Amino acid sequence: MATATSMRLPWRAIVRSVTTRPTTQSIKTPPAASIPQPFTRRWASDSASNTPIGNEFASASLERAAATEIEGTAGGAGVDAESHNASTITTTPPSESSPTESPEQPRRETVNPDTVRPPRAVQAAYLRPLRRPATHGLPVCDLQLRSYSVRNLEFFADFCLRAAYYLGLPAFGPIPLPRIVERWTVPKGSFIHKKSQENFERKTLRRLIQIKDGEPETVEVWLAFVKKYAYYGIGMKANVWEFEKVGVGRTMDAEMEQMRSEVEPTLRQFAFKKGSAVEDKVLELINRGDFKAASGGNAPMIRTPTYKLPKN
Amino acid sequence: MSMFRAKRLDLGCFVNVKVIRDHTKRKVFAEHEPERQALRYIIRNLSLPARTRAQAQLQLAQMHCYTRPTQIRNRCIEGGKGRGVLRDFKMTRYNFRMNALAGSIPGVKKAAW
Amino acid sequence: MPVPRARLLDLMRVQCRIFNSTFNPEGLRLGNKILRQRLKGPALASYYPRKMGTIQDLQRVYTDELDIFDEEEEDRFEKIKILKARGKGAPKKKRTAEESKKFKGKKK
Repeated sequence: MATATSMRLPWRAIVRSVTTRPTTQSIKTPPAASIPQPFTRRWASDSASNTPIGNEFASASLERAAATEIEGTAGGAGVDAESHNASTITTTPPSESSPTESPEQPRRETVNPDTVRPPRAVQAAYLRPLRRPATHGLPVCDLQLRSYSVRNLEFFADFCLRAAYYLGLPAFGPIPLPRIVERWTVPKGSFIHKKSQENFERKTLRRLIQIKDGEPETVEVWLAFVKKYAYYGIGMKANVWEFEKVGVGRTMDAEMEQMRSEVEPTLRQFAFKKGSAVEDKVLELINRGDFKAASGGNAPMIRTPTYKLPKN
Repeated sequence: MSMFRAKRLDLGCFVNVKVIRDHTKRKVFAEHEPERQALRYIIRNLSLPARTRAQAQLQLAQMHCYTRPTQIRNRCIEGGKGRGVLRDFKMTRYNFRMNALAGSIPGVKKAAW
Repeated sequence: MPVPRARLLDLMRVQCRIFNSTFNPEGLRLGNKILRQRLKGPALASYYPRKMGTIQDLQRVYTDELDIFDEEEEDRFEKIKILKARGKGAPKKKRTAEESKKFKGKKK
């Protein structure tokens, strides 16, 4: 899933930054000017919450990093080492060199997370899903998600909202619908002993996501996307409304005329059901010989009618 | 009845003779349902001649008992029992309890409120 | 002004034609209730879970390409072989009435 992969990126950036710098230095928040306001707050809190783990990692990975670098030079990647050396001299300030590394050893090119901003899409994965405003507020599609587990449900509702945003659909929700509680009481044993029973229940949680003023085609694409990446343990149900101008029949007729040459060869291969199976059976039975005989059809001077479906 | 029974067993659940019989009845009923409904329609249509309707009544009564929906009974798919079957899970109460406690029925937990 | 009945009936007829319902101004019992009912046979017939693809089915499909090992079947064959070796196998099928007489020669 898109969110899962993108969430890993900033984490790696944080760890790398800690390895190259003294561990005491805390991570600064990204510059506020480059990021819009709602982004900064959550982004900052997220990275702050990650720091303790990053620090724990720092001491261990420092030595590991040094060891691998020594191996790299011993292996004889001369050109690489030289180029690394050159680049590090120009890019990194001397204050950032860690105590374990000697100045002669080649160092990796470091990326300072303070100056490099992760892509917007990556940042957005940490924030509440973005939304598009609805201009008319006309409901087009209701997607109901059902599950027994809140975690999956919340996660997938979030995913649906993000998908809707990137498709340009104004989505509303997730609206928590009343949960369905079903309960069963059964005797504990397999035989008699009605007095000792056990209760079981199943709570179905529901969320509603409503799409307003979307193109029918885009809504279809969204629904198909959501269906393709369906999450485990979640049932989905969509109600889709389509709107037409006045004079639908006439436009449909015109469209039909246009499509006739394409559609008819296909349609010729289908048999259409006239009425229900019961209706056909009624006619078959009632026109049968023994039924006619029962209605006096065999008696002289009596003609029983052959029944037909009315033309309607 | 043996003439209705499938030549090859097509059941994937618990199988005993009662389950097979019930399954056969279901299939036979599904096959003959339009005919039964047609006869019922003829019987209830007062605009048809009385003799036609009487004939339909006779014919409906003479249809094989396996074509009747009242012959069908929900049976447990785990043990074939015919009583105490929960409709939601197609299982007897005890099998349901065992499965629910084992966690093999999604979403069903022990309730306390 | 009261509307004449014939006109109302005409309206009703048109309404029935458009909405595909039965025109029955006298309220006769025509049994249309039964025609409207849904057929519940398919729902009832699908109550029991059907057998899924078995190993025998696989073997039948991939007779040429794959050699599929049915462990249960092999176990059964092995068991039969052991029983036969101990002389405890199933008796031979009696084809004729002559053979099927149990105590030949004893009773007369």
